[in-house]
This record gives sequence, structure tokens and C-alpha cells, in this order.
Amino acid sequence: MTRRISKYKRFMMMNPIIQFFKFIYLSIKVLIVVAGGHGGTRNA
Amino acid sequence: MSKIVVLGAGIAGHVAASHLRRKLSKEHEVMVVSPNGNYQWIPSNIWVGIGRMKPKDILFPLAPLYAKKHIDYKQAKAVSFHPEGDSEENKPYILAEYVTGDEKGNQERVTYDYLINATGPKLNFEATEGLSPGKNKAHSVCTYTHAQEAWIALEGLIKQMKEGKKVKILIGTGHAKSTCQGAAFEYILNIEQELRRHKVRDMAEITWISNEYNLGDFGMDGMLMSYGSNIMKSSEMVEMIFEDRGIKWILEAGVSKVEDGVAHYETLDGAYKKESYDFAMLIPSFSGHGFKAYDKSGEDITDKLFRGFMIVDADYAPKPYEEWSVQDWPETYQNPSYSNIFAPGIAFAPPHSISKPRKSKNGTDITPAPPRTGMPSGITAKLVADNIIEMIKHSNDELHHKGSMGNMGAACIASAGFGMTTGSGVSITTYPIVPDYNKYPDTHGRKLGKTFGTIGLAGHWLKLALHYAFIYKAKMKPFWWLIPE
Ligand SMILES: Cc1cc2nc3c(=O)[nH]c(=O)nc-3n(C[C@H](O)[C@H](O)[C@H](O)COP(=O)(O)OP(=O)(O)OC[C@H]3O[C@@H](n4cnc5c(N)ncnc54)[C@H](O)[C@@H]3O)c2cc1C
Repeated sequence: MTRRISKYKRFMMMNPIIQFFKFIYLSIKVLIVVAGGHGGTRNA
Repeated sequence: MSKIVVLGAGIAGHVAASHLRRKLSKEHEVMVVSPNGNYQWIPSNIWVGIGRMKPKDILFPLAPLYAKKHIDYKQAKAVSFHPEGDSEENKPYILAEYVTGDEKGNQERVTYDYLINATGPKLNFEATEGLSPGKNKAHSVCTYTHAQEAWIALEGLIKQMKEGKKVKILIGTGHAKSTCQGAAFEYILNIEQELRRHKVRDMAEITWISNEYNLGDFGMDGMLMSYGSNIMKSSEMVEMIFEDRGIKWILEAGVSKVEDGVAHYETLDGAYKKESYDFAMLIPSFSGHGFKAYDKSGEDITDKLFRGFMIVDADYAPKPYEEWSVQDWPETYQNPSYSNIFAPGIAFAPPHSISKPRKSKNGTDITPAPPRTGMPSGITAKLVADNIIEMIKHSNDELHHKGSMGNMGAACIASAGFGMTTGSGVSITTYPIVPDYNKYPDTHGRKLGKTFGTIGLAGHWLKLALHYAFIYKAKMKPFWWLIPE
């Protein structure tokens, strides 16, 4: 195993409080990408 | 009154049937023909495969729901397509064969005005010699039964590890042209985390084997993505995760044969190699179901409807990778020969792969097939339903609803471990799914910002939230349609 994720980064990734806000951010971000619409490409 | 027949009750078929039923008055008939009596939320099979969910958590029976919602249902499989009817039947029909109960084996002509073929892929295990779920210590997580069997085998192996046995675990693609690398990626990370939870991680060597040219290709030619304040390649992100988790990798590998505990593969440089294992999960190649089609006189017209998967409004003219464009990809999923037949989800024939095609020195194609994940499957099914509804309501053949994978975003929330406080997820969004190298020439065909990746506990929560949300939606509970595809 080679440590590629620093202790600080791992703390940020696994801290439930930080991650709670990340969860909200992610949900909105995913919604924007998905609900952001779709369409054709040929007459664009 | 119109009759719409939907073949398949997976993500695409069920989304199409439920939207059609909600938006069309009861004078129109919506019928689903599908052999599996259960709806399954396939993405959560990963958690069945590590014993953290049971099959019952990810499925529910279709018949009671369809009866309640006035959707006709036949537990049968489509056998052949007759888009012009025949000498005895004037209307177009599909021949369906019942798969259960007293009627098992009986065939019936199911007529339609509109047909949605949402039969997804055939899991083509036969394309790889010796690859069959549960045989030769190789498993699958593509269905809940496969995933359950995989977990039973893995649980036995964990027991042996606790008794001191060192083992080798091999996860990845089981054919030179497999797709669905994302599912295997989730499974390898979940297994790695479970082994740590069981305190046997040091007893296992875990290896990723894949037909990808680079890590993180995922059959989508890789991605350049925003990662925090940096810009990162998906290959760099996956490499970072694998190294951090102590996972080895074998790339450019076309698995051709599986024997008891041994996977034989060929690499792009033409070498033939093998890798031994005590437990493997190898995704098979996907193929069409081998349906036949006939015209009114009984002539075989399979070529008009199928090229493996169903032919739709894509540009299938063969051309080199450098000339591929997003315009090759279908927009309406309508069959060009029969305007009342559509194929959303995995059932449509893609024009070509998304990843750059590569051949080994021996001439073997070792290229991931293009993935059609849950989100595009749902979106394309909904737009097909909307077009049919407009065709019925306005007696008009114009299709206003379009959704090319070259102009559509997708989110892939890959589970990287289960647990409310210890879990993790690799959340990736991509826009567009098929890279548009003309529109986004400097960012590998994708729009940065809308193409981003992040790792952490929130990803696990999101994946779990999506599990509950999509099962709620599939059960057509109050306001289900507010949840986007
Ligand atoms: C393990 C795994 C994990 C995944 N994880 C994710 C994920 O996290 N996110 C994501 O977006 N995607 C994920 N996917 C991909 C996703 O599951 C597929 O994109 C999606 O299921 C495709 O939907 P579909 O309706 O086209 O096909 P399917 O879901 O395969 O449905 C096909 C339907 O057709 C029926 N059928 C088969 N033969 C016939 C016949 N002859 N006649 C009538 N009906 C027939 C089947 O019974 C089934 O009901 C995952 C896939 C796997 C295997």
C-alpha cells in the first residue's frame, strides 16, 4: 500500500460534519447536471 | 385508443411504462412483457455481493404494482418481432413466450400500436470460455442471484482468511469487449473495505483486470475532471485510489478463457498471459438477445431491426475514430424502418464504442464497449414515452423530445465501501456522456465543472439515498414522478 491520500485529506473525506455539507452540495450538483436538460446534437 | 407494449421491466422499461401510464388516459392500454417477475435496483447488487444488503432489499414484485396501476403485465419473454403482422394477423405483433405458471412455454402473439424494446443486454457469459456465474471460482454481480452467490463464496473465503489462508482476488472485465467497468470498480473497492472490516486485509492480494487502455477509462475514453481546485484525469484519480488501497492492476487485457482459479488473457502487445485467483468477479460481455424479425410474408428482416442490439436513429456508417462525432449518436431511439418501434436504455445498438478502439498485435479487439448506465437509460426511456404520448395525442409523427448521449449529463456515484460512518463513494458527474471534442477541444471533450469527481463519506450517503429514492420512485409511490431519472 502506498499512501496517496494525506491524513488531512482523509480526515476531510471522512468527517461526518464536513461530509454532511458535502452531501448537500453533491446532491444539488448532481441534480443540476441531471436536470440541466438534454437534447439533440444534430440541429444544435 | 392505442396499445403500447413495453418489452422489459428494467430501468428503461419500467420508467417508460410508468410515465406512459401516468400521462395517458385509461382508454389507452399500456402493457409490459418481461420474464423476471421482480423489479431490481441493479446498482445495489454491489452491496448484495458483499453481504451488506439482501436481495429482498433491492427488489419488489411487479405484478401487484402493475395490477394496482392499471398496467397490463405478462410474465413472458419476447421471442420474435413481426412489425407488419403476418398472413393471419394484420396488426404488428411480437411473439411472446410465457416463462412461469401453467402457461409456461405457451407462445402468444402480442399486438401493439407502439412498441418499446427495453430488453437491455444479454449477459453473454458464453463469449468467454469457462466464464459462468459461480463456476471456476468466478462470479458475477450483474443480477441479484449472481450477487448473492458471489457473497456466499466471498464469505467462505473470508472465513478461510481468518484461519490463516492467504488468497488472491481478481476483479474486473471477463471479455476483451466488456463494458460496465464502473460496477467492477465499485465491487473491488467494496471488497477491499469489507476485508479491512473483517481484519483480514493483509491476507489478500487484490488485483484489477480490465480491457481499458488506462485506469478510469470506464468505457468513456476517460475523463478530464475538476477535482477540488485541481483538474485531474480520471486515470490519475483511480490510480491514486488503487495505490492508496493497495490494489494492483492489469490493463489492456482481453480475458478469453477461465479455468478453475485461472484467468487467461491477451494483452494489446500480443502476449498471452494468465492470472490465478481464489475468488474472481468478472463482468461478461453484453450482447443483444438474438431476436429474429419477420415481415408480413414471413421473410427474415432481422437486419432491418437489429445489428446485435436494436437499430435506431444513429449513424452506423463505419468510420475511423478520428471522424467519430456526437452526431453519430441517436437522439430519439426510433427504428428508421418502423416508426412505431423504439429502443431506449441498453437495448439500442450504439454507433460505435466511446473509447478509442484498439486491436492487439494478434488482431483481437480489446476495447471497452460503450456503457449505457442507469441515468441515460431512464432519460432515454422517458423521452421515448413522451414522444409516443405526443404521437398519440396529436396524431403526429414529429418527435420533439430528443436526448443524445452527446448532449446529456450523467452522474456516477460509485460506492467505495459500505457504512454510515466508515463508508465512502467516488462521485463523478460527466457532461456530456459521449465526449464532444469539437465543442470542448481543450478539456478532452467534456465541460469542466459539470465533469467533476470527489471522494468521501458523502458519496456513500448519496448512493444510499439514491437507492431508497429510486426504489420509492419505481414503486410509484405518491409524487414519484418528481424524482428525476
Ligand atoms: C452490478 C451493476 C451495477 C451498476 N451500477 C450502476 C450505477 O451505480 N449507476 C448507474 O447509473 N448504472 C449502473 N449500472 C448500469 C445499469 O444497471 C444499467 O444501465 C441499466 O440497468 C440498464 O437499464 P435497461 O432497462 O436498459 O436494462 P436492464 O435493467 O437490464 O433491463 C432489461 C429488462 O429486459 C428484460 N428482458 C430480458 N430479455 C427479455 C425478453 N426476451 N423479452 C422481454 N423482456 C426481456 C429483463 O428481464 C429486464 O427486466 C450497473 C449495472 C450493474 C450490472
